[in-house]
Amino acid sequence: MNAEVESLTDTYFNSDAYDEMFEPDMTIKAPWNNFYQNFKDLGCDELISRQKEIDWNLSENGITYNVYNDPNGLNRPWNLNIIPFIMHKKEWEEVERGLKQRVHLLDLVVKDIYGERQLLKKGILPHEVIFGHRGFLRQCDGISLNTEKYLSVYAADLSRGPDGRMWMVNDRVQTPSGMGYSLENRTVISSVLPQIYKQNAITDQDGFFNNFNQLLVDAAPNKIQNPNIVVLTPGPHNETYFEHAYLASYFGYPLVRGSDLLVRDGKLWMKSLKALKQIDVVYRRVDDIFVDPLELREDSYLGVAGLLDVVRRKNVSIVNPVGVGVIENSGLIPFMPAIAKFFLDEKLILPQIATWWCGQKKELDHVIANISKLVIKRIDRSSRETIVFTEFLSPEALEALILKIKNKPHLYVAQEKITFSTAPNFTKGKLEPRNMVCRAFAIANKDHYDIMSGGLVRVSSTEDVRVSNQRGGTSKDFCIIDETYKKTRKSNYFNSFSSNATELSDLPSLTAENLYWAGRYVGRALITSRHLRTVLKEVANSDTAIDLKADNKITTLLQTITQLTNAYPGFIGSKGEPMVSDVKKELIALVVDKTKSGSLAHTISMFSNSYYSIRNLWSTDMWRVFDSIHKLWNPILKEATDNLSYKRIIKVLDQLITRIIAFMGLIEESILVEQGLLLYFIGLNLERAILNTTSYQSMLTIATEEHVEYEILEAMLHSHESLNIYRYSYRSHINIESVLSLVLLNTKYARSLTFLVGRLKKDISRLPHSKIDAGLQDYEKAIFEAYSKLRLSSTQTLALVSEEQTQERVALETLLTELKALFYDTTKAIADTYFNHSKDQNQLTLQNFS
Amino acid sequence: MDFLITHITEYSYNEPVVFCHNIATIKPRVSAGQTILEYAIDIAPQPTQFSERSDFFGNNITRFSIEKEHEKLTVVSKCKIKRDYTAIKDSFFSKKCTAITLENALETLNLNAPNNFDSKQFILDSILIRNSKPNIKAYALASFKPNRSVFEATNELMQRIYTDFKFVSGFTSVSTPLDVVMEEKKGVCQDFAQVAIACLRSVGLPGRYISGYIETLPPPGKPKLVGADASHAWFAVFIPGFGWVDFDPTNNKIPENQHIVVGWGRDYYDVPPLKGVVYSSGRSSLKVSVDIKALGN
Repeated sequence: MNAEVESLTDTYFNSDAYDEMFEPDMTIKAPWNNFYQNFKDLGCDELISRQKEIDWNLSENGITYNVYNDPNGLNRPWNLNIIPFIMHKKEWEEVERGLKQRVHLLDLVVKDIYGERQLLKKGILPHEVIFGHRGFLRQCDGISLNTEKYLSVYAADLSRGPDGRMWMVNDRVQTPSGMGYSLENRTVISSVLPQIYKQNAITDQDGFFNNFNQLLVDAAPNKIQNPNIVVLTPGPHNETYFEHAYLASYFGYPLVRGSDLLVRDGKLWMKSLKALKQIDVVYRRVDDIFVDPLELREDSYLGVAGLLDVVRRKNVSIVNPVGVGVIENSGLIPFMPAIAKFFLDEKLILPQIATWWCGQKKELDHVIANISKLVIKRIDRSSRETIVFTEFLSPEALEALILKIKNKPHLYVAQEKITFSTAPNFTKGKLEPRNMVCRAFAIANKDHYDIMSGGLVRVSSTEDVRVSNQRGGTSKDFCIIDETYKKTRKSNYFNSFSSNATELSDLPSLTAENLYWAGRYVGRALITSRHLRTVLKEVANSDTAIDLKADNKITTLLQTITQLTNAYPGFIGSKGEPMVSDVKKELIALVVDKTKSGSLAHTISMFSNSYYSIRNLWSTDMWRVFDSIHKLWNPILKEATDNLSYKRIIKVLDQLITRIIAFMGLIEESILVEQGLLLYFIGLNLERAILNTTSYQSMLTIATEEHVEYEILEAMLHSHESLNIYRYSYRSHINIESVLSLVLLNTKYARSLTFLVGRLKKDISRLPHSKIDAGLQDYEKAIFEAYSKLRLSSTQTLALVSEEQTQERVALETLLTELKALFYDTTKAIADTYFNHSKDQNQLTLQNFS
Repeated sequence: MDFLITHITEYSYNEPVVFCHNIATIKPRVSAGQTILEYAIDIAPQPTQFSERSDFFGNNITRFSIEKEHEKLTVVSKCKIKRDYTAIKDSFFSKKCTAITLENALETLNLNAPNNFDSKQFILDSILIRNSKPNIKAYALASFKPNRSVFEATNELMQRIYTDFKFVSGFTSVSTPLDVVMEEKKGVCQDFAQVAIACLRSVGLPGRYISGYIETLPPPGKPKLVGADASHAWFAVFIPGFGWVDFDPTNNKIPENQHIVVGWGRDYYDVPPLKGVVYSSGRSSLKVSVDIKALGN
């Protein structure tokens, strides 16, 4: 053993807690032997570098989670520690058996609660545990399902107790999370540690996900073939939005939000680009009470009004069914042994934490007498954030707590305080013991349950014993080791999920809208940053102070940037507001001030929002480029604006432009037209058409002295990235006629307006409502007219200065003004036809009695 | 006594509604002393979807959707009903009922006889009556003593609410918290019923909210005005060993035949006459009229 390796563990301090890997004398426990040897062989430096590789992989693949109530909490990178958690098959089999029993029992419990209520009638379970729990939804009483099981998906939190056994900690049934993260953890870590993962017989998880998919298919009403399945998410702000998108794209189902769906004719429909499409199965990640504002929480915008009624008619299956939240209930714990005896005549296999339900006199007295040694929970709030650790309470707070419990005893349980085991975590070149919680997953498979082999392990951040991602812990891959396990080369699962090929018309309209806006923002970001770059270069190189009143290239460029960004008064001034005086301040704000509408920072943040909203569509490569844009861009936003130099910004803009272009290139090859690429293109090209028209209008419509005009034209071509093409095509002195024919009227040059509009005309005609034989739709007319106007124009007429006094090129000005109006008409008509399906959802005012 | 009840609810919208989903708890339930002779509901525009079911509490729930554009929604419910509550009311005054003290009652409830839970669930918090402040319990304790008859105490509670609280129409809405009602001592029937229920629950008794109608009698010598009747609400207490006993704190009266039951629940939230989600960018205004015609025996 070399010194470096010793240093891995020399500070590993393990108190009396049970450690997963080390015996108290620091020898290694049997199942870990091989692993530990492997890691030792890698050595500390290599571990550090592989850990970095993991971090990079997760960040580049865009694996994130969100923390609520934290301004910086959105899209935090997910953490995965290089040291997995391992368990031997022998032990796991017993845990598996226990989990199967538990989920089977809970399924029977929830069926009984919403059905015959035998448990209450026979006095096995006090009614307050159910009726007093806010998750008991009377609206769901007596609903019969399309599936055999009430619980289709289940997650359990397990921890190892001081006796060395795995204990049940929490049941999760409403929207159990973590499966997607487990899958991604395994994918990433096995690619970073390929040797170790091959040498140790680690069981696969693929089969579980195949069965999960089958479960969704089988849940369809009347077992119809090729059911339409969607994944319902609360949206990008949800803690585990990443996973919703990840699973949606893994299974190939649309990721939708409540506003994408509606109830009609007693059925559930998805608003897609073309029409309504009936939905048979909803894999939902929205909590029970939010799914139907008609019958459940009225102020919810995350669900669909009338959904419960569709469920009652058995016209749709929700996985898991609404109402299951009542068994996320720590009040059940003390009664589980009796429930197991009643339903199965069995003993509980997995031990539970000693729990006292305060709704009974004897238990209440015990709890009050021993309160400082116990942990207090409400039966209907199992999140770790709401658990009271009494040892941290002041005497007054403890008194208040006792009063609260005595007032509504049935709402509380007390649990024994337990020190759970620690597992080694690799941090800063050392192994450290951290408290851990395992999350295991089960899904229904016909009449029984399948358990995922392994799952997800979360460990606490340094000090805190409470393990939770909301508190910034980290995760581990949870591996089951089985020497007898034979990797079966499963047929690639993607082949088996070819349930229904999608067409463009099936695209959820919200997704379509986000793609369209992603296109518009990318276009805006590119054109704005190119123009800003040109302006900044000119300003940085200018020897004299800038006179905004002077009639020269720089003022024209500055005024154009105000028009492009719509950031008035800016360098032009607006009604009642004079133009700005501090050029540098305004320019820097236009780059980095996120709060300034129209600024580049604002545009990029809007782009990121639409990007995250449709994250299920993006490929890994795109995440890499997207991530690189942020890594480049975020630091500059954080710098003090006084310290920013033109040179620094120009350098960032150079890189930014390259990365945006890389991103645009990737989109075209990563997403199919049927997946919505068409909408992205329409957005992108409309934005380019609008902004180019704006910039032409600002820079080309007024003639000036010849040398000034030359400079302006040159700068315009430069910002338009057309200077080289111009020189190549015309080989002449830059003049207005040639510039107009190149950037406005050329039909072959990809950056000319005519070309862009021609492309738009073609793309728009491919939208689902466009017909080939019945005349043009409204949204097609405007673009058709714009195209005709451009084709009917000639450079000679447009270049003509027809207004002596103002030196205005009236024909050009008129054409550009008309074009801009037509482009805006197009954006409006497209939105009206394709995105504006939904009116606001309102509650009727209720009748007040007298 | 037979009655013909006409209950008209009308929503007018200033912007067209594209479609709406609604739930009505408007069809009177069969209950002790009450038989439904005829019932019809008429909804305009004609709903595309219409279904009836019975809810967790046994109330009649009507679910309908209108899936075409409309600017007005009218729901007319007509019901011919037979009320024969006199004997039931009389039984409240019998020894069997009045002899039960609070102490007896709580003892019986605490026996945890498994089948008690149908009534015991009405002790627990509900959406609109929850986390009651200590002033509720203090108010209740003025009437409820361990050795006192539950019936007498509740009767007194009803009288005190009638005296202490001012009937002010429009001061509260269905979303006004109970605390405000308690503090201001103002409100309408649903508020008074809910205050009473909160008091009952604070001393450990099941209290239930009853939604219905009341026939108003014109002042002597004046003709009865059409539409002058009203939707009404009152409460009932569960006296273990006897059963449910109703009280109307708005009128300081133990309901008899003029009180027509539509449904019951833990509070208003469980039995709103009509609720719904509409898709529209505009606002709505609501007009309700109730007419109760006594048809004789």
